[in-house]
Amino acid sequence: MSALSREWLLSEQPTSRRQARLGQVYRTWLSLRSNWLAMVGLGIIVVLILVALFADVIAPYDPLAGGDLRTARLLPPSWEHPFGTDEQARDIFSRIVYGSRLTLMVVALVAVIATPIGLLVGTTAGYFGGWVDTVLMRTTDIFLAFPRLILALAFVAALGPGIENAIIAIAITSWPPYARLARAETLTIRDSDFINAARLQGASSLRILWGHVTPLCLSSVIIRVTLDMAGIILTAAGLGFLGLGAQPPQPEWGAMIAAGRRFLIDFWWVATIPGIAIFTVSLGFNLLGDGLRDVLDPKARK
Amino acid sequence: MNQFHTLVAAASLALTTALTPLTAKAETPPDTLIQAWSIDDIISLDPAEVFEFTASEILGNSYQGLVGYDVNDVSNIFGVVAEKWDISADGKTFTFTIRPGMKFASGNPITAEDAVFSLQRAVKLDKSPAFILTQFGLSADNVEEKIRQTGDMTFEFEMDQAYAPTLVLYCLTATVGFIVDKKVAMEHEADGDFGYNWLKTNYAGSGAFSIRDWRANEVVVLERNDNYSGDKAPMARAIYRHIPEASTQRLLLEQGDIDIARNLGAEEINALSSNPDIVIESGVKGSIYYLGLSQKNEYLSKPEVREAMKYLVDYQAIADTIMKGKVQVHQAFLPKGFLGALEDTPYSLNVEKAKELLAKAGLPDGFSVTMDTRNTPEITGMAQAIQQTMAQAGIKMELIPGDGQQTLTKYRARNHDIYIGRWGPDYQDPHTNADTFARNPNNADDATSKPLAWRNAWDIPEMTKMADAAVLEADAGKRAQMYIDIQKEHQMTSPFVIMFQEIEVLGRRANVKGFVVGPSFNDNSFKAVTK
Repeated sequence: MSALSREWLLSEQPTSRRQARLGQVYRTWLSLRSNWLAMVGLGIIVVLILVALFADVIAPYDPLAGGDLRTARLLPPSWEHPFGTDEQARDIFSRIVYGSRLTLMVVALVAVIATPIGLLVGTTAGYFGGWVDTVLMRTTDIFLAFPRLILALAFVAALGPGIENAIIAIAITSWPPYARLARAETLTIRDSDFINAARLQGASSLRILWGHVTPLCLSSVIIRVTLDMAGIILTAAGLGFLGLGAQPPQPEWGAMIAAGRRFLIDFWWVATIPGIAIFTVSLGFNLLGDGLRDVLDPKARK
Repeated sequence: MNQFHTLVAAASLALTTALTPLTAKAETPPDTLIQAWSIDDIISLDPAEVFEFTASEILGNSYQGLVGYDVNDVSNIFGVVAEKWDISADGKTFTFTIRPGMKFASGNPITAEDAVFSLQRAVKLDKSPAFILTQFGLSADNVEEKIRQTGDMTFEFEMDQAYAPTLVLYCLTATVGFIVDKKVAMEHEADGDFGYNWLKTNYAGSGAFSIRDWRANEVVVLERNDNYSGDKAPMARAIYRHIPEASTQRLLLEQGDIDIARNLGAEEINALSSNPDIVIESGVKGSIYYLGLSQKNEYLSKPEVREAMKYLVDYQAIADTIMKGKVQVHQAFLPKGFLGALEDTPYSLNVEKAKELLAKAGLPDGFSVTMDTRNTPEITGMAQAIQQTMAQAGIKMELIPGDGQQTLTKYRARNHDIYIGRWGPDYQDPHTNADTFARNPNNADDATSKPLAWRNAWDIPEMTKMADAAVLEADAGKRAQMYIDIQKEHQMTSPFVIMFQEIEVLGRRANVKGFVVGPSFNDNSFKAVTK
């Protein structure tokens, strides 16, 4: 087996499937790397993941236990407290650091829950057509008829406030666009020769859907999911702000803004710092999503 | 949809902040008092139904009761609509004489007929505050014979027992005892409702101001009542604007768009206190903040644990920081300003002592417990501070947040471990709090009366007897001593960690003078405000 060299990866005549696949990945990476904005986005997300992983090493203070109420409350940013302290005398930097775990958890879980649902509904509807399509897509339309935050609010109000329920509510409200996308992709390929060939060979619908249709839909859905992550973060923060997401004393960024809102005039940092954190991470996901679209979308490929 | 309002308010705050440099300094009209207050709790303006802070204050300025008390010395009770009253020898019947020559805002004279109508009406309609009257043995069936007119200007008020006269009189100062204009109310009667549907949004009283308009979550407009029997109000109009956000109120006050801001938080008070155009005023209110420890919980039912928890709240630090200017430390169930209030504060944060007590209870490593917490900033702030001090002694307290409705429903169903609550007295007599904190006639799950002691499953037959005896003591001095004794025992043994008494704070423009902050909300008065 040859080494993982640049020449091997970029070889015009790959000698194995593995070489071809890895070569493809490497080319994608190369074109992504040439887009510096996407790299900035990727950088932000890598930092977010690292911070979340090593939160207990990075954070200088306990994010939940505060200091002395009389002396350490609402302190402005300083060397000791780089982002200041909040109304319970807690270090805001430590809370932001631990809050990244919650943010990442929300994003990851929503992606893991919503993407398969959307893919399944969309590919099934597109592949079978007929009344299956009608039923599934009209259901999707019903979900799309409500603004996402309002629908999530309704679900959380019914399920009860809490970060788990917020994740479920956001997942329930974010699959419909993926279903639509997957259906559109499926429609363009379901009558292709290779699908018909597979069918003639006796492949079951399940096998065709799983083995041939889904992989082809995946790239556009991944782009869409990445672009949506900013929206997911904002929805989670919105729910937290309204008191329906993460509950105190959890250091969720949206809830931190809500708590700091009362002090906005005199103690700007309490609400501003988590706001900047949300902004940065959302921007990161958007930039990366944009870059991924340029690279992965076959129609946009030069 | 409180959250929605908060959102809108936050957006408008952002807008106001952005526009500040552009707007000229506004000024309110010289004959109009404009107050900013969160008035979303108003559900009715009918004295027979009003039980909310805001509406009580509005009625206090627009209606009159039979009797009133001096807001600086509540033991000084005097007649308002009633000129005098006599108590029968057996102590069960009051005879009231109406002051002659008084008029309603409509111009109708006030007679005993109106007073009898108002009290009977409140009992028959049986809305939330009706118990203040029905506790004297009145009911819809017997009220016509128990409260009876005996002359144009006299009527009798008969009770089932010889209750302490102070209790009866204090109860009559509550909004439920305010006198309604019978003629006006009956003109608008529909289906035998005594004018209830009309009076919900309209006015038939005799106070210094008449209510002209109430638009929910927007504004309440009051106008001077020229038929008022007392001194005419200097202001021609008084307006409440619904502004829920404290920081918006602060900005409006600083700019002179409003005269008085009513919902200022600790941070706003701090920031405004250095502004020469603005004066911060405060007065103690009857509301009490406390923790209710359910006796159904295996840990909390141990007396040592109950005592330990009283040593695990940093009362003074919370009063000095998170709740600065909004509360004062108070540790007995009768608030300062009430007959027989106990002002001792024996407890303060003492982790060592608490650990000792926990060890004695067989729980040296602490335990885990939940606390239902209303998700308002102040309650949540206090709860988090308490959570931290409890943790120092090993008590792991998990906060379960919810809106007021959720937490209260759970509390009323006795499904909580700890509940952090705020209790406001219903009327100015000590019995109102003794009744709920120190009486539990039946501790069974299906009991009909469900005071706070019941909600926390605290079985106290002895203390219930003591509280019942205090209700019947005619001598005010002896009665006060009885309440002090009950409170002393209550302070030591009860599952209530009573922490603070509320202070009402308002910020006013320096030229606005004469606003009176009384012990209860219907005592807050702007009758004499000048500017």
